[in-house]
Amino acid sequence: MAQEARADFNEKLAARGVSRRDFLKYCGSVAALLGMSEMYAPQIAAAVEKGALQPALWMAHGLCTGCTESMAQVDTPDVPTVVLDLLSLNYWETVMAAAGSQAEENIKATVAKGGYVVIVEGSVMTGDGGNVLRIGGRPGIDELKEVAANAAAVIAVGSCAVDGGWVAGKWGGDTANMVGATGVTKFFADNGIKAPVINLPTCPVNPEWVVAMLVDVLLMGQLADGSILKKLDSEGRPKLIYGSTIHDNCPRRGHFENGEFVVYGSADHAKQEAAGWCLYQMGCKGPQTYTNCPLVRWNRRASWCVESGSPCIGCGTSDALKGGSGNWFDASAPFLARTNNVRLPGIGGVQPSTIGAVVGGVAAVGLVAHGLGSAAKGRIKGVPTEDQKVYDAKKKGGDK
Amino acid sequence: MARVVIDPITRIEGHLRVEVEVDNGVVKDAWVSGGLYRGMESVLLGRAPSDAFYVAQRICGVCPISHGHASTMGSEAAMGIKIPNNARIIRNIIEGAEALHSHILWFYTLTALDYVDVVSALSANIADTYALAAAAGTSTADFGAIQKRLKGFVEGGQLSIFTNGYWGHPAMKLPPELNLIAVAHYLEALEMQAEAAAIIAVMGGKFPHFMTSLPGGTVWIPTEEKLDDIYFRWQKVRNWIANAMIPDTIAIAKQYLDATTYGKGCGNYLAWGVYDAPDFDPKKRVLPRGALVGGLTPSDPKPEAIKEYIDHSWYTSGDGLNPAKGETVGKFDAYSTDAKYSWVKAPRLDDKPMEVGPLSRMLVAYVAKVPGVVSLIDSTLAALGVPGKPEVLLSLLGRVGARNLEAMFVADEMGKWIGELIAAVKGGDSKYFVDQTGEGEGPGLWEAPRGALGHWVGVKGGKISSYQVVTPSTWDCSPRDKNGVRGPMEEALVGTPIADPTKPLEALRIVHSFDP
Repeated sequence: MAQEARADFNEKLAARGVSRRDFLKYCGSVAALLGMSEMYAPQIAAAVEKGALQPALWMAHGLCTGCTESMAQVDTPDVPTVVLDLLSLNYWETVMAAAGSQAEENIKATVAKGGYVVIVEGSVMTGDGGNVLRIGGRPGIDELKEVAANAAAVIAVGSCAVDGGWVAGKWGGDTANMVGATGVTKFFADNGIKAPVINLPTCPVNPEWVVAMLVDVLLMGQLADGSILKKLDSEGRPKLIYGSTIHDNCPRRGHFENGEFVVYGSADHAKQEAAGWCLYQMGCKGPQTYTNCPLVRWNRRASWCVESGSPCIGCGTSDALKGGSGNWFDASAPFLARTNNVRLPGIGGVQPSTIGAVVGGVAAVGLVAHGLGSAAKGRIKGVPTEDQKVYDAKKKGGDK
Repeated sequence: MARVVIDPITRIEGHLRVEVEVDNGVVKDAWVSGGLYRGMESVLLGRAPSDAFYVAQRICGVCPISHGHASTMGSEAAMGIKIPNNARIIRNIIEGAEALHSHILWFYTLTALDYVDVVSALSANIADTYALAAAAGTSTADFGAIQKRLKGFVEGGQLSIFTNGYWGHPAMKLPPELNLIAVAHYLEALEMQAEAAAIIAVMGGKFPHFMTSLPGGTVWIPTEEKLDDIYFRWQKVRNWIANAMIPDTIAIAKQYLDATTYGKGCGNYLAWGVYDAPDFDPKKRVLPRGALVGGLTPSDPKPEAIKEYIDHSWYTSGDGLNPAKGETVGKFDAYSTDAKYSWVKAPRLDDKPMEVGPLSRMLVAYVAKVPGVVSLIDSTLAALGVPGKPEVLLSLLGRVGARNLEAMFVADEMGKWIGELIAAVKGGDSKYFVDQTGEGEGPGLWEAPRGALGHWVGVKGGKISSYQVVTPSTWDCSPRDKNGVRGPMEEALVGTPIADPTKPLEALRIVHSFDP
């Protein structure tokens, strides 16, 4: 970067009350967030210094606003930094000052200029000709098509935007849903929209991941040189975030190995939970859910689902390519029943057979030694289980 | 007559469109249209009651705790479950934390920009700002640094979320110094809503969408380190509400006293009540159940007296049914304010539209003489120069103020509940969850921060056999009913002054006052 531009950037930082030292510290925290060494901080700093704020549009579709809410909980960097110093979020319905026609003007002006990033929250609602979601007096999908056509990249935040999420769940547990909920990837494929899509499932999205992607895409220039796409798996998920199971990183894993399980309503429930025993017998979907929740945690690292005493309900399970039928609700419910029908997502770079061995190994060795084995020995009673899984039947070694 | 359309309504949860007829600078008629239909009730059919607890929260990412609790309470009523006392206290604390989170977020992030001119804050004199903060009794910040940051941002030319706001609008009345104070607290509020949400994360895994209030009680077990964590987070939020949010509310309200003269709405108020007492009697809840119809005379609302109409909604069957027997089958027809114009149904209690929300809860509690509520309302009326006149609260300003006063009330009550939980744990009570199943039907009638909430749940053979939800926004944002009677928000819009029909800021204030 030219010396002149850097001086100008430092002035801008100073005008916003940020010292250069603070700025580099911030870049270091971004590096840490991305799982990179702080060595990369100067590189991130150089990328940020390129100048103008990156224009972005945050589009609200079939949503509960939970992903926006989740985004409001981030502190590395905090929300004011994101919306004042990192992005020019020209459209974000939940927090923007403008409304009505003034809000819609912001979209038009941004789209006309190009070079913007789109963040989509909520399911893409195609039912009733798209009229199950109306925005600005027309189907919401019409607006999405216009905004997506000229976008540099699209980030689908939360399971709803990735594949329809619970909104795509079967009605009555068995009938195809009538509102036509699907995800961005499938909708783009069906409508010939070429913008690259990054998928960030879980319900809601973990805000740390959104920030990490913004840094990858916007600041490190990985979209321009195409390198971002190499970091994604076949369903558009960043491998760093979605590459290993919750079970692999779970702080309660030791209790799983020891066969120490929490049983709700049992005489010792409170003691078991206070001791942090494993929730596998309560239906935990940790062994089949690929996110780094136990490491990144939630709400400024205050806690996460399993730490609170609940099993993981698999809200990070998704199927972006099918866009609906693989939604996490149908894939993971009933949440409190022990699931042996472990689903094998095609994580990019990892062969399904390898995953099979990993998951199978966990299921077979773990279950047989501690779960099913324990049940047979009478240590655990009254826990509902589903049909025995093929890996269990083989008893050891998974499906190798 | 000019038809003014605001679509999308921003700074809300979800999708809303508002049309108003403006004549001589005043709203003469109004139509409120809900834009989204997802089919939650249909998705939940045939599932386990515990699955409904986890997923029903996804109706609203701002009030998932309330939906989770109403779902669980509906299932528990259906299955005949009485939860342990510890679970009651823990649910109250989690619910209270959500209310604090929601009210802080609503006042500063969602509605403040209707009253606070961010650009005007640039011309504030810093010394005068400190003097004003001292006079108003509100907390100070580094006002000079904040103004400098704002200046750098505005001069950068990219206004991000502030692009195209109603800066310089004639209905903006605050002096620059008060605008700067509000901007400083706008930034602090983002911290405080997150601190309140972190209490939920500690007790429920994460926010939004928590994990622990399953049918049967709670699966969160308090330990010493978790109890001190929630206690100190609560204390920080409670003190900020007392030292910034309440004095800000009074200072801003004094500049907008004209807002006591319009925005009243239908004048009927409903609260199912929230924060259970040890005997689980809804009339003894900390904010009790009750209704006020056409004045401040209390009555006892009967859930059986609810009917939902669909004359102006895009649904095909179930007109006039009680939610216990309700149906939700959507089918879009043309949008027309003369015919069907909304995905929201029109619920009525004894065939009357009912406003729900903090104003309803605080009025019901005031009439029932709940001590903390009476003292808060009376002292606020005195501070605004209208002592002994609670009827001025039946207005736009009353609806805004009631929400913030409720935040103070709940924050103080929460301190008692945390003490109650510590005492129960010290006393050796280790019961948190009962493992029990059963069959039947039951409503879970509760309150979200934005108003009365009901989940009508049927359970048969361990599965959900029927499910209907009436959310706060179903009540407040309802379209006209079979008799052509407007919904509460529509009615509140009528009579609102509009200075500039191309920038209908005052209409936005009315809409936001309901926190839809």
